[in-house]
Amino acid sequence: MVSLKEIFSKTDDKGSVTKETGRLSEGKKTLKELKVGETAQIVGFTKQSETVQKVEAMGLRPGKKIRIMQKLGRGILVKTSNSRIVITSDVAKNIEVK
Amino acid sequence: MSKGIKVALAGNPNVGKTTLLNHAAKTNLKVGNWAGVTVEKKEGYLNYKGYEIHFIDLPGVYTLEPISEDEWIAYNFIAEEKPDVIVNVIETTNAERDLLLTTELLEFGIPMIIALNMSDEASRMGIEVDAKHTSELLDVRVVRTNGRNGDGVQELLDKIIECADQPTSPKKIMYSEQVEASLAALQDIDPNGAPDKRALLARLTDGNGENLEKQKLEKFFKKDIKSVIKDERYAFAHGFYNEVFRRKKNGARDITDRIDKVVLHPIFGFIIFLFVIFMLFKISFDFSTPFMDWTEGLINNLFAPLVLSLLSNVGAGKWLPEFFSQAIVGGVGFVITFVPLIGMIYFLLAILEMSGYMPRIAFIMDRFMHKLGLHGKGMIPLLLGFGCNVPAVMATRTLENKRDKLLVMAMIPFMSCPARLVVFSFFAVLFFVHPAVIIFGLYILGIAIGLLTAFFLRKTAYRGSLSHFVMELPPYRIPRLRTVLQIVWVQVKSFLYRAGTVIFAASVVIWILLNTPPNIKNQSDSAAAYVGKAITPVLAPIGIKDWRISTSLIPAFLAREIVLSSMGTIYSVDIQNKNTDFHFLPELENQLKQLGLATRDGFESLVTPGLQSMQIEEGNQGLRNVIRSSFTAASALSFMIFLLLYTSCLATVAVMAREGGKKFAFFFLAYSFAIAWSVAFIVYHIGMLI
Repeated sequence: MVSLKEIFSKTDDKGSVTKETGRLSEGKKTLKELKVGETAQIVGFTKQSETVQKVEAMGLRPGKKIRIMQKLGRGILVKTSNSRIVITSDVAKNIEVK
Repeated sequence: MSKGIKVALAGNPNVGKTTLLNHAAKTNLKVGNWAGVTVEKKEGYLNYKGYEIHFIDLPGVYTLEPISEDEWIAYNFIAEEKPDVIVNVIETTNAERDLLLTTELLEFGIPMIIALNMSDEASRMGIEVDAKHTSELLDVRVVRTNGRNGDGVQELLDKIIECADQPTSPKKIMYSEQVEASLAALQDIDPNGAPDKRALLARLTDGNGENLEKQKLEKFFKKDIKSVIKDERYAFAHGFYNEVFRRKKNGARDITDRIDKVVLHPIFGFIIFLFVIFMLFKISFDFSTPFMDWTEGLINNLFAPLVLSLLSNVGAGKWLPEFFSQAIVGGVGFVITFVPLIGMIYFLLAILEMSGYMPRIAFIMDRFMHKLGLHGKGMIPLLLGFGCNVPAVMATRTLENKRDKLLVMAMIPFMSCPARLVVFSFFAVLFFVHPAVIIFGLYILGIAIGLLTAFFLRKTAYRGSLSHFVMELPPYRIPRLRTVLQIVWVQVKSFLYRAGTVIFAASVVIWILLNTPPNIKNQSDSAAAYVGKAITPVLAPIGIKDWRISTSLIPAFLAREIVLSSMGTIYSVDIQNKNTDFHFLPELENQLKQLGLATRDGFESLVTPGLQSMQIEEGNQGLRNVIRSSFTAASALSFMIFLLLYTSCLATVAVMAREGGKKFAFFFLAYSFAIAWSVAFIVYHIGMLI
């Protein structure tokens, strides 16, 4: 039996990595650039905002594996775990993936 | 005296809180299957084992770090009203996401029950939860529930009572060593003893300036304190999920992705959307038409003669039968014949909502809405507007941006609701060879004016960039017939309630005005005619020259369908009462036979392609004939347009004032009158030339 304290130390969640520079690190791309059917892992956000907070709370967190299910206009349907989340490309361009 | 227990239902959007509440409290609340449908505080009461349980259904939120209106409502309720018990409803299949909110709820120290909802879906997908372990770790009670069939609700109620009898605070989450050390330090310097952890956290994060612990932590983690706490909560939720949830490899494949491949396809998806909307209208009109005819027959051939013969048997005087056939049958009875249509529209909208298709419409349509400067999510309130403008205006709350919200709100009243359809189908059938075309045209005109309004507003008052959107798509679910029927019943009940109250009152008032002063020879000398004649000059340019029509428009501001009941009352004075032989039993038998035929016709209409209802009918009513004599085709069309565009609905104006401000509602009302009058004027004069 683990205690609450142990749960915390066992986790592999890396926390949000925010780069206030607004620029991508080298060799990384944004969620916006992914094509339908591609999978990737979220690395961090290039900009903090209320929308980013909401997106995080909805489950798009650094470390999470995602798959692009569909793109329609500016809307992008992203699947992670069991949730399907639609975000617009102006939000997606601030999400860094690898 | 029974003991009261205040229970807050908290959870992410669309996890089935409201459905659980429906099972528990048996109240008829609105249930939907798109994220954010629970934007209002909903309540339910239940007497159970000597306790009075009071449920409050909080808006679905992802986090209690409040930003949006919904989040503030949920946060304030828990922080300030302090419920006795929190029921945290978790969508078991999506628990990893849901646990962030759980983590935040734990910190309030209020006795908590975790309801692992949609447990059937979870076990089908091979997701297992160690409920016992969860309960021990967090010191909360855990129950598995299934909103679809109500499994586990009994157990939930028992646990609520247990919770109230032996309240236990759940364990608080443990943060990292560094944060815990800072919290301990803050506690030590507090002279007033030990505040709770949430207060300490607030002190740690809010403290400005001289907050050494905050500075220390920010230096250590190299990010601001709020991010530190937030990230640690996420980390806890994540770790906790891994601890108690297991996912078997061989769970059933999720069917939603496969359906979405087609339904959200860039081309097929749009075709399917058009088909769905077409079917929505076809089924509501074609299927309900035979039933409307049947209801009309039931009232006019069975109910009315029955009451009249009873009245004459008891020797009622002259005015009572007159009052009955003019005010009640002519006014209220007439409006009631539209119940099948209204019920059907709500039935289909509820299915769209509960199946999970509704939010997908927002995704599919954003491409086009975006081009028009509108938000894809705005599509949902607009579609709801075809059901009733009032809930549609309330649904604009899901739009985060005030500008988007007001833009959509200014479009909604132009979406034609069943109350208007009631009037249209009556007039269109009377005056036009192809009534369906006219009605379709009116719907399109409403949409066009709505778009023009939005365009105009975007160029003037609501300039600015378009807001992005973030929205969850729920999995597809087969709606439960019982729940759908519950929703339909709520709506039909409120329609009948209006028929019995507002419409009844309006009919009575008009009838009285028509008969004041007493013993007048001519209707046009009555008080009603006087009022009508006074406003006729305003309406004459759009072809409404008859005092009987302008009079009926006044009470119609309460609700549009009243225009017909008022006309029914006014005109039925002119109609001779037919005194045919009436025999109750044969007529009852006939009505039952008619119901069978109507059912057959209804289902038959579903398999025939195209919209086919509203073909010309026989003028089976005296009312139809007299109304035909006071309108021309041009004035009838102008009248319908006026009623379509003018926000002649007190409820809509009231809800707009609440959601968008009094000024906004007032300006909109004036605007809608101006635009209704202008369009009607143009159409009337063009119509006169033809």
